Amino acid sequence: MPAFARRGERRFALALFLPAFLLLVATTTLPLVYLVWSSTQRMDLSMPWMSGFAGLENYAQLGGDARFWSSLWLTFVYTGATVVLQVAIGLGLALLVLQIRFAQGVLRIGAILPIVLAPVVAGLFWRSLVLAPDFGIMDFITRALGLGSYNWLGDPQLALVSVIAIHTWQWTPFAFLVLLASLAALPPDLYEAARLDRAGPWQRFRHITLPMIRPAIVIVVILRMVTALSAFAAIFAATGGGPGSATEILNLYAYRLSFTELNIGYGSAVATVLLFLTLSVAFLLFALRRAR
Amino acid sequence: MSAASVSLAGIVKRHGAVTALAGIDLEVAPGEFFSLLGPSGSGKTTTLRILAGLERADGGTVRMNGKDITSLDPGERDVAMVFQSYALYPHMTVRENIAFPLRMIGVSKEKISQSVKEAAARVRIEHLLERKPGQLSGGQQQRCALARAIVRKPALFLLDEPLSNLDAKLRVETRVELKRLQRALNVTAVYVTHDQEEALSLSDRLAVFMEGRIVQVGTPEEVFSRPATVEVAGFLGNPPMNLLPARLENGRATVEGVAIQVDALKALGSRDVTLGIRPSAVRLAAAGVPATVTMCEALGEDFFADLTVGDRLVRAKLNGQGRPAEGMRVHIELQTENVHVFDSTTGRRL
Amino acid sequence: MIRRATLLVLSLLIVLVWVFPVAWGLLTSFKTERDVLAYPPQVVFEPTLVNYQDVFVGGASIVPNLVSSLVVSGFTTALTMLFAIPAAYALARLDLPWKRAGGFWVLATQMLPPVGLVIPYFLLLRQVGWTDTYQGLVLVYLTFALPFAIWLLVSYFEEIPREMEEAALLDRAGRLRTLWHVILPQAKGGIAVTIIFVFLNSWNEFLFAVVLGGNTVRPVTVAMFNFISLEQTQWGRLAAAAMVGMAPVIILGLLAQKHIVKGLTVGAVKGGGRR
Repeated sequence: MPAFARRGERRFALALFLPAFLLLVATTTLPLVYLVWSSTQRMDLSMPWMSGFAGLENYAQLGGDARFWSSLWLTFVYTGATVVLQVAIGLGLALLVLQIRFAQGVLRIGAILPIVLAPVVAGLFWRSLVLAPDFGIMDFITRALGLGSYNWLGDPQLALVSVIAIHTWQWTPFAFLVLLASLAALPPDLYEAARLDRAGPWQRFRHITLPMIRPAIVIVVILRMVTALSAFAAIFAATGGGPGSATEILNLYAYRLSFTELNIGYGSAVATVLLFLTLSVAFLLFALRRAR
Repeated sequence: MSAASVSLAGIVKRHGAVTALAGIDLEVAPGEFFSLLGPSGSGKTTTLRILAGLERADGGTVRMNGKDITSLDPGERDVAMVFQSYALYPHMTVRENIAFPLRMIGVSKEKISQSVKEAAARVRIEHLLERKPGQLSGGQQQRCALARAIVRKPALFLLDEPLSNLDAKLRVETRVELKRLQRALNVTAVYVTHDQEEALSLSDRLAVFMEGRIVQVGTPEEVFSRPATVEVAGFLGNPPMNLLPARLENGRATVEGVAIQVDALKALGSRDVTLGIRPSAVRLAAAGVPATVTMCEALGEDFFADLTVGDRLVRAKLNGQGRPAEGMRVHIELQTENVHVFDSTTGRRL
Repeated sequence: MIRRATLLVLSLLIVLVWVFPVAWGLLTSFKTERDVLAYPPQVVFEPTLVNYQDVFVGGASIVPNLVSSLVVSGFTTALTMLFAIPAAYALARLDLPWKRAGGFWVLATQMLPPVGLVIPYFLLLRQVGWTDTYQGLVLVYLTFALPFAIWLLVSYFEEIPREMEEAALLDRAGRLRTLWHVILPQAKGGIAVTIIFVFLNSWNEFLFAVVLGGNTVRPVTVAMFNFISLEQTQWGRLAAAAMVGMAPVIILGLLAQKHIVKGLTVGAVKGGGRR
């Protein structure tokens, strides 16, 4: 409730909010309605004479489309793996760094670098400088260690591992920074009290740290999920979804369907599925915010 | 603008299911220094905010000089307020802060400059005009907030616990100054505080708030010497009044199982009452309510003694009566002039 | 002491992993094509500016792309702030009807998958002839910039004590002047950070740019692919282009370093619609 509700305040509030609201409706909601509509159309730019209303035909087609199911599965694997890795590594690093006051400044600046980089550039850097066969640094390391040479982005299994690694590299600093901030805000006397209660390091982590930073972890998990679900540019730059469709998460599949194969109607159906997937995550986030 | 009279009639305020104010009636005379005193959550700040127009009452009317201002915006009322947090604009200098209310009503530059100087001089911060609030001490910020409030010469001056963020010494100094300022400006002031010492020393009259109601209105002397209810009695005074449940029967008072004759209470007939005795009014005598001294601390000239009467604790401030030994058995004298009697069901003074 | 040293080494290792691709890219940008492909990878080599020369003034100049990025990001940022500041203030402070629903809706908008938007925009902009135009791309960029900015600004506005507005109202400032004279000056820092983030996100955008841009409007993120073709990749030039293209965001990122955590958790830590 507003502390002061007075005459005309609502009118003033609406006057401030409505322009942005209407602009957002026009630029986001209406196009999405159009997306759902186009998902019910037969719309193939390479065969424009075939266009017409298709009803739920595109969605029926999804059921028997092995590439769609594999793409949906890859989306889950990609999202799950990157989120788990980011949180686990980010939390581990944050706990570590918390103990060394002197290097925190350097670490924070180092952490900013991947985050501000355009994902497409991150993908290109990794593709060329790190993972390229023969002259990439990764090849050099594995060979130097006597592990042999690998085609990181050419082998289907390794390509998936690679794009997950790229995403994890770029966004772990985010998890790290947020978790470090919330860890640093924990009251130290809590730990002193726990020490006096003879709690060991693991017990202190398990019974004090973890419950106290749970809200921050939840936030990180949800935000990272949203980013992973809209990941596109880094994979596009590193593998283009390939080899074959080995790294083709739903974003890539919808893009390739619509703009490479020009089958826009079907691409819209895939994008609509993705849209509802993302919206349910958004709803989850809002429900959690409300619960707090 | 000269001092305004203020009247609140039947003011009700609800926050959802909670009733914050359950019908507030209040009359403040022009030029009066009027305090709203009560524990936190009693509704005194809400009342002030309704007076300012910052909150809207769910019922009742607010009048200033007889004119209904209930539905006016804060800016349309001729009021100024000093906030507990001072609410100084951090991006403006002291000068700009004080000038702001005048700038907003389109006063000419020369006039503003003149008024700012006057207001600053009144609270003695002329030398700080070019500073930002962040560079001022707590006391200086407080003065700046005062200057900003008085610069427009409002008819009504509202103060929301303005001294609570100052340290004890400064608080007492500023208190005196505040009163002097209000007198000099001849402005009506409504002052919210939970500090009874402040309220008693500053006010011409005060209202005691309890749980969204006004339980007593009067001069500080009246309220202190004749508290209207048990709650007021238990709230005022430091330490507050001792309260002992008792049974009256034709001049015999039964306190904690001991019956003693108090002729003075004969007129009250037979009923259950609560007896109130201020710590400073406790007299030890040969006869009266029997008590045991459990602890005694010396405070300069006076002694604070904890006495037990049955299972109850009675605090006594003893002066010139000699220091009683701990464990000593004594008697507390009951006299009309030192005992307040309240009805035990209604809590009202008898 | 040994523990301290181990921790220090470990943390330096982390920084190395984060910084490495960019640092290696910087190194590569000064290498000739021959040095790039040398095995083992070389740290010591004879630096050359030929790649930078190429990406600035050569046939593969990315200067027009930098201009594209600047124009699109600049206009997006300006328009976004124009709409987001009032909306965020209303959400954070005022008695706005349907506030909670409005807040959720803005938040949900911020999370939409870009692929879901790029398809309808491809069809719509083609119909009105706005593909490969600045106005088309700016319009599409608003879809992510505006909700993001609103949410970030809401959290900054909420930090300003409510008494500021109350004092201003008692001082007869009125609502609009309160916003202008009292609230906005105090939100200056937050507004600056929001500008930086919106600009940064717009500059880094790729999907909309590659689908809805073209030969006229070709932001620098898309132009990176100029140096990659099926036959060969011009690694040195690519690295130089990436360095030039990313310099603005790296500088902005370091400037806003302190505020970055807040910007990244926008809408999650706190926000309007709850009061």
